[in-house]
Amino acid sequence: MPPLAGWTLWITGFVGKAPALDSVMRLLCNDYFLPLTICLIMLILWLGQQDRIKRNHIQRAIMDASVAIGISTLVVALINSFWNPWPRPFLVDDPIIRESARYAAQTIFYFPTDPSFPSNGATIAFAAATGVWFGNRKAGAVVFVLATLWAVARFYAGIHFFVDVAGGAVVGILTALFISKVFMPQIEPLPTWTMKLCRLLYLA
Amino acid sequence: MALDYFILAFLSSLGVYQIASVHAKLDGLCFFRQPVVQYIFGILAIIGAFGWFFTSEERNIHTTIEGAQQLGLFLGSIVASWVFTNILASIMQAKVNSQGSTPREGKQYDMGIETLKKTTLFGGISSSLKKERKDKV
Repeated sequence: MPPLAGWTLWITGFVGKAPALDSVMRLLCNDYFLPLTICLIMLILWLGQQDRIKRNHIQRAIMDASVAIGISTLVVALINSFWNPWPRPFLVDDPIIRESARYAAQTIFYFPTDPSFPSNGATIAFAAATGVWFGNRKAGAVVFVLATLWAVARFYAGIHFFVDVAGGAVVGILTALFISKVFMPQIEPLPTWTMKLCRLLYLA
Repeated sequence: MALDYFILAFLSSLGVYQIASVHAKLDGLCFFRQPVVQYIFGILAIIGAFGWFFTSEERNIHTTIEGAQQLGLFLGSIVASWVFTNILASIMQAKVNSQGSTPREGKQYDMGIETLKKTTLFGGISSSLKKERKDKV
């Protein structure tokens, strides 16, 4: 059992008590709703800047964020291949936590079969938010809010422990920081060539 | 499910392109002359696509669309939507211009989407090809 496992019992205790809240959480923890919303925000940032210099700046940030999303997914896969510290909340030995999480997952989401730690959704959402933050603070803040909602919804649905989503957020943020500040400057001129190619294809 | 997701991403990115073109003044991407109409079209496309996707079926189910496939579908749909937007905008603007309204500003040789501020994608490609030919001569 991970640390703070008792928090799962507390949050899943709300499931089934307020149908409106459950409906909102069903949408927020969906596999497509928030990921696509975040991608569309990145798309509008990519195109929606009138000034050419500002557009170049934000497009570089979006490119870094996209690379960070890809690399953070690989980091999660790597962690999972070496370390799978605990099962999903609805599969743990403790019958009280297990049954509460099982009911929450059944009501809000479904029973995922991949490892619990770290949360893949939280990882990619926070990686995207951090990447976007470097290009546009306001949009970055919006994506951070969406990432937090996604993480909270998955914790509420009983498919992750708090430590899973917090760990995913840390992995995502650190990966995006590394990509934006260390990796992408190191591999220059590759990012510049990519931008030039995108411009040649009328994509940037 | 994969096709539904593709349609969702296609329609919503179509809306995003219309809204973004108002902000960035990319006239070559516009379907309509009035920014308000374009804005409303964009918002309706996004809301309509999300509304259709989430109300037509139960979407919180264990499907076979994995993360990588989802990314592939998203990229495919935004590119398809980009091509569709450019073709439709080129056709619509060529039609408007042929009906005697003010033609778009003449030739320009900007690179990338900056071109779309003054002309459509196909207008931009054709003017850069003409320039290349002229340079060779």
